[in-house]
Amino acid sequence: MATVQISEAEKLYVVHGVRDDLRVDGRGCEDYRHTEIETDVVSNTDGSAKVTLGHTNVLVGIKAEIGKPKPMLPDEGYLEFFVDCSANATPEFEGRGGEGLGIELSNTLYKVFSNKQSVDLKSLCISPGEHCWVLYVDVLLLQCDGNLFDAISVAIKAALFNTKIPKVRIAEEEDGGKEIELSDDPYDCVRVNVENVPCIVTLCKIGHRHVVDATLQEKACSVASLLISVTHKGLVTCVRKLGGGSLDPESIFEMTETGKRVGKALHAPLMELLQKEESLGSKRQKVGFLG
Amino acid sequence: MAVDMRLPAILKQISLSGSKGAAASLVVPGDVITTDTGFMRGHGTYLDEEKLTASVAGEVERVNKLICVRPLKTRYNGEVGDVVVGRIAEVQQKRWKVETSSRLDSVLLLSSVNLPGGELRRRSAEDELSMRDYLQEGDLISAEVQAVFSDGALSLHTRSLKYGKLGQGVLVQVSPSLVKRQKTHFHNLPCGASIILGNNGYIWLHPTPMQQDEEAGGYYTSTEPVALSDREVISRLRNCILALAAHKVMLFDTSVLYCYESSLSHQIKDILKPEVTEEVVLQTRHRLADQEG
Amino acid sequence: MAGLELLSDQGYRLDGRKSTELRKIQARMGVFDQADGSAYLEQGRTIALAVVYGPHDVRGSRAKIQHDRAVINCQYSMATFSTAERKRRPHGDRKSTEMSLHLKETFEAAILTHLYPRSQIDIYVKILQSDGGNYSACVNAATLAVIDAGIPMRDYVCACTVGFVDDTPLADMNHAEESGGGTNLALALLPRGGQIALLQMDARLHQDHLDTLMEAAMTACKGVSKVLDEVVRQHLQETVILTGE
Repeated sequence: MATVQISEAEKLYVVHGVRDDLRVDGRGCEDYRHTEIETDVVSNTDGSAKVTLGHTNVLVGIKAEIGKPKPMLPDEGYLEFFVDCSANATPEFEGRGGEGLGIELSNTLYKVFSNKQSVDLKSLCISPGEHCWVLYVDVLLLQCDGNLFDAISVAIKAALFNTKIPKVRIAEEEDGGKEIELSDDPYDCVRVNVENVPCIVTLCKIGHRHVVDATLQEKACSVASLLISVTHKGLVTCVRKLGGGSLDPESIFEMTETGKRVGKALHAPLMELLQKEESLGSKRQKVGFLG
Repeated sequence: MAVDMRLPAILKQISLSGSKGAAASLVVPGDVITTDTGFMRGHGTYLDEEKLTASVAGEVERVNKLICVRPLKTRYNGEVGDVVVGRIAEVQQKRWKVETSSRLDSVLLLSSVNLPGGELRRRSAEDELSMRDYLQEGDLISAEVQAVFSDGALSLHTRSLKYGKLGQGVLVQVSPSLVKRQKTHFHNLPCGASIILGNNGYIWLHPTPMQQDEEAGGYYTSTEPVALSDREVISRLRNCILALAAHKVMLFDTSVLYCYESSLSHQIKDILKPEVTEEVVLQTRHRLADQEG
Repeated sequence: MAGLELLSDQGYRLDGRKSTELRKIQARMGVFDQADGSAYLEQGRTIALAVVYGPHDVRGSRAKIQHDRAVINCQYSMATFSTAERKRRPHGDRKSTEMSLHLKETFEAAILTHLYPRSQIDIYVKILQSDGGNYSACVNAATLAVIDAGIPMRDYVCACTVGFVDDTPLADMNHAEESGGGTNLALALLPRGGQIALLQMDARLHQDHLDTLMEAAMTACKGVSKVLDEVVRQHLQETVILTGE
């Protein structure tokens, strides 16, 4: 993970600030930084989204490809995750430097998103046991300033919302074989139901309290954090402790409660935003990177 | 809790009218500044077959016969006498390596610091062994540039009571070119906090100290919690500085203070929202212009 | 040229351009705050993002330190979703290692490295969307990022690929034209002095045509340099107005 150095006195200042519910940038313990979301930013994908959370900047591209279902789950499609910690984000990631973090992130994402509760995997099935849609979710880190998980989860939800999978028709051939025909019409497509897709909330334990959306500086002051993925109904789908330190059960309980509350509240504004963007359609001028 | 999600806004086009005067002295790499051989070649230029050519994009500056091009944004180019804020990167034999956003790490020699007690004496072997007790990796210091080595690395010193280790407070990093050179870079702002505007773009915000404790020699740091009211001022100042930097307003005590005052009608955390930033910075610009005009 | 008519009888190409016409280039400098310099560049449907860190102390092995100049370190990578077919790895394969090397050579020719002894300059380029001419988009984006970082250069470096179809050079080829086979020449040029920073040609070409092709490539690069120049000057003016000096 990209890290920053911080002196003991600065650490003390941050910890005391969290205790007083006034963080260095003026936020309270449960406030998120200013977030900007835009979908459909890369045209070579079936769905994409760019999320800026403070100085953290991630780009998610989703490609749908036809693959073979897993033998155990013949009537379901699946999702594949890949996180590219590119050197663009920080020189530490150059060469193989970002690989460890990339694997950690993608494994967690796999646990959080690739299950029946989060995404309707059955809808990705084309013909049971033979063909299904595989959604390749590729995350690209462009800038890191803490709280990668939350930013990525929001970006994935937005990109899934944006994903348009072409409709397919299965044509029986004379010799009994099947052939898959993709629809040529770009408007003739299937959307992914994102209603139950969870958002991740990472809570950082700083001193005796915990904060959401920690910056890198705040993360340097914390010993451990807890990751919780929550659906819009407040259902917790995954809990994980991250970081080297230890947490006592009491505080894990408190953090889960906060996480549930915060996570639940994330969905409404996100969906509202995505729907608003969709309704604006082509009337809205694309911002992308050109600004 | 608060979440502020939105679609990105399109940046406003800045009108380029009425700037013809400025445009004349702007050059890009490869532009020939003059073919007259009577000039001296300064930073940001090179000689291409007797022609003085720009190597960076920026403004041409002429001082008598010397021609320089100052790039808009660059790493910190230290000059002797500059006030800098830096972070200790490494403790080595008889010296500390200090990160100052310069192009090479700066050096703070053991012989260029005031040791606790304030007495001036030869540095002994014990001092060398206890270097980490004074300053360790990650610590922040304020210092002055003492010399510039031939490879461009800076040598720092803290031989004055105003320099030394920094205690509790907040560091803000901006581009070095946004910090205005002034007589003093240490200010006790009337809003209740102190600021060190490092020439290297590192800005240190801290609560105004009650009295100077001379005996400590700058190595003692208070672990007392900072009062909430001081924190609010510091956080507001921090966000104001970031707002000004985002809109590329030069930073000095007056601009920071004006921005602070303009921001008072907003909550601290809202200052970094684009529309509030814009409003606050615009007010600051107007006040600065009024003062000048 | 099997099947595909890359150049129609009327002299138009697949995407309706004339043979010497460049794709539309749009760019912005200073997209990210954390890096020393950054730039975003669209060349048709090819999108590149470049960031520059440095000059700073040499990281890693001390053996890399050059006592008389700066070390230039480049990494070229492609987003896994950038191509029509998903890529498995963003970097580390032969092609991107080769590209990294080419970029390094190109910028060593342009940056005044002797001004920064014992330091290192990192240039990282990422292709977000690939539609032919990846190398040239990278070079052009990296040039803007280096200028944004305030690192001294002799001149802009502008790159363009040129193809050769039916005895006519085609400037700034897109993916369809590149994959049509045939000759493909990539050129990186320091436009003012006409110095060539990189020249690479795949496939064979009759020696008689080389001059025409080079000429066309130089013209195309100069065209690119005009666009980049506008972007830089625009950025320069905006910033100067904002700082109010």
